Amino acid sequence: MESQFLLAKAKDDELAVRGECGGAVSALFKYLLDQDLVDGVLTLTRGEDIYDGIPTLVEDSEDIISTCGSLHCAPTMFGDLISKHLSDMRLAVSVKPCDAMAIKELEKRHQINENLIYKVGLNCGGSLMPITAQKMIEVFYDVDPSEVVKEEIDKGKFIIELADGTHKSIEIDELEEKGFGRRINCQRCELKIPRNADLASGNWGAEPGWTFIEVITEKGKKLLDGAKKGGYIEVKTPSEKAIIIRGKIENAMIKLAQKYQEKYLEENYPNIENWDEYWNHCIKCYACRDACSLCYCKECDLEKEFYNDEDGVVPDPLTFQGVRMSHVYFSCINCGQCEDVCPMEIPLAVIFHRMQKKYRDKTGFIPGVSEELPPLFSPEKE
Amino acid sequence: MFSEPKILGFCCNWCCYGGADTAGTARMQYPPNVRVLRVMCSGRINPAMVLKAFKEGADGVFVGGCHMGDCHYDAGNYKWNRRAKLIEDLLPEFGIPKKRFRFEWISASEGEKFQKTMEEFTDTIKSLGPLHRSFPKMSNKSPMC
Repeated sequence: MESQFLLAKAKDDELAVRGECGGAVSALFKYLLDQDLVDGVLTLTRGEDIYDGIPTLVEDSEDIISTCGSLHCAPTMFGDLISKHLSDMRLAVSVKPCDAMAIKELEKRHQINENLIYKVGLNCGGSLMPITAQKMIEVFYDVDPSEVVKEEIDKGKFIIELADGTHKSIEIDELEEKGFGRRINCQRCELKIPRNADLASGNWGAEPGWTFIEVITEKGKKLLDGAKKGGYIEVKTPSEKAIIIRGKIENAMIKLAQKYQEKYLEENYPNIENWDEYWNHCIKCYACRDACSLCYCKECDLEKEFYNDEDGVVPDPLTFQGVRMSHVYFSCINCGQCEDVCPMEIPLAVIFHRMQKKYRDKTGFIPGVSEELPPLFSPEKE
Repeated sequence: MFSEPKILGFCCNWCCYGGADTAGTARMQYPPNVRVLRVMCSGRINPAMVLKAFKEGADGVFVGGCHMGDCHYDAGNYKWNRRAKLIEDLLPEFGIPKKRFRFEWISASEGEKFQKTMEEFTDTIKSLGPLHRSFPKMSNKSPMC
């Protein structure tokens, strides 16, 4: 299908004001719930503070308003939540590119039924770890992190808003040079616009108060048309210039990501001695497996007796992480969850991403984007 | 001095194992370093089995299957071929040189090819020396002695 660009905003005043960029995405969710096209909307709501995002299932369209606003400091994933707990529900879900990748891989593995879900994509330049964000705000912004009421990433800057309405912003590049800023895997990520979802929306190229939406699938187009007809959103065509600006932003971010890939996967890549030290820290808590967006087996090989070492010793990396890698690395979507949850801070996403890139170079398989399963699973004689 | 290397050889029942048999009945001598393990098909072997072999102290791992197109189960060796390439990428990440892993297509009539492959591979492993993994722990009750 030919892609189509448009600008949209919510007709509902409250949504337009409280939502990001005119609240178009919230309005779409409201439309879906009101028209009973879905049973629920899975999205993030703000918890205690801006560093806390809670995946929430909204079933009443009146509650959509509570999900408004961005949460860059709460990296979560929806893929396994859907496959494990909500697989029989008609859902709409707001997805970052990595969520969309995870969902796509799970769809291919028959863990999620693609006919049941609407994937409303959100452009994403990257997310931050809550702890990093708090430290960063304290050190560089000279602000008590608990006083921040809102955050936003715009034009390469991380912007915070305080209770009295003042804004403070610092270039993300500058923060990242000092080891803060976005999560490392996000810095390496090349998929900034989720073209693997039904719609891709964001503020790049948009006028203030409007959301720039790229229509990707027929399903997405139907959704937008319906919401427009139902009076939930207002739509207009973006200018040529806006489309160019959006393209430029995307290209710049992809180039930057490639630079970071070079840095983290080649130049600064840990050597074998470093890795042995990392593996020696492993406490075999299985958190990496449990958090993995792709792992879904009910019986895990890692728990099989023949791969296990005696109790109380560090697991041999060959038969622990090695086995895990041999199961999933070719499909790794670089969501970074394994690394985030590792209590011993083993940089797992780096090794998985590097290996996946090797596999991609050889086979052309891009996880979460390619329509087929990895060629490894192919029954063909080739 | 490097004591004799330990090599684990996974051979598929229908071709490579038959090739080893042919070598044996024809009295072609090949290095005794290889411990042959018969599997029904090379497509039955997964990377974890190769990793486990190295963990348990193998200095080299060999896998032999049918020639392309000859698989008893139609496409098993194609599947193995794709997996084997994955293993070649995986091993160096854990400090094991790619050369310590070899796979080959050997038919039941190719006793000579089996003999030659085993000689070559044993020489390669001998020249590489024993596999010293920097990861300290190794199973003390090694099943391979």
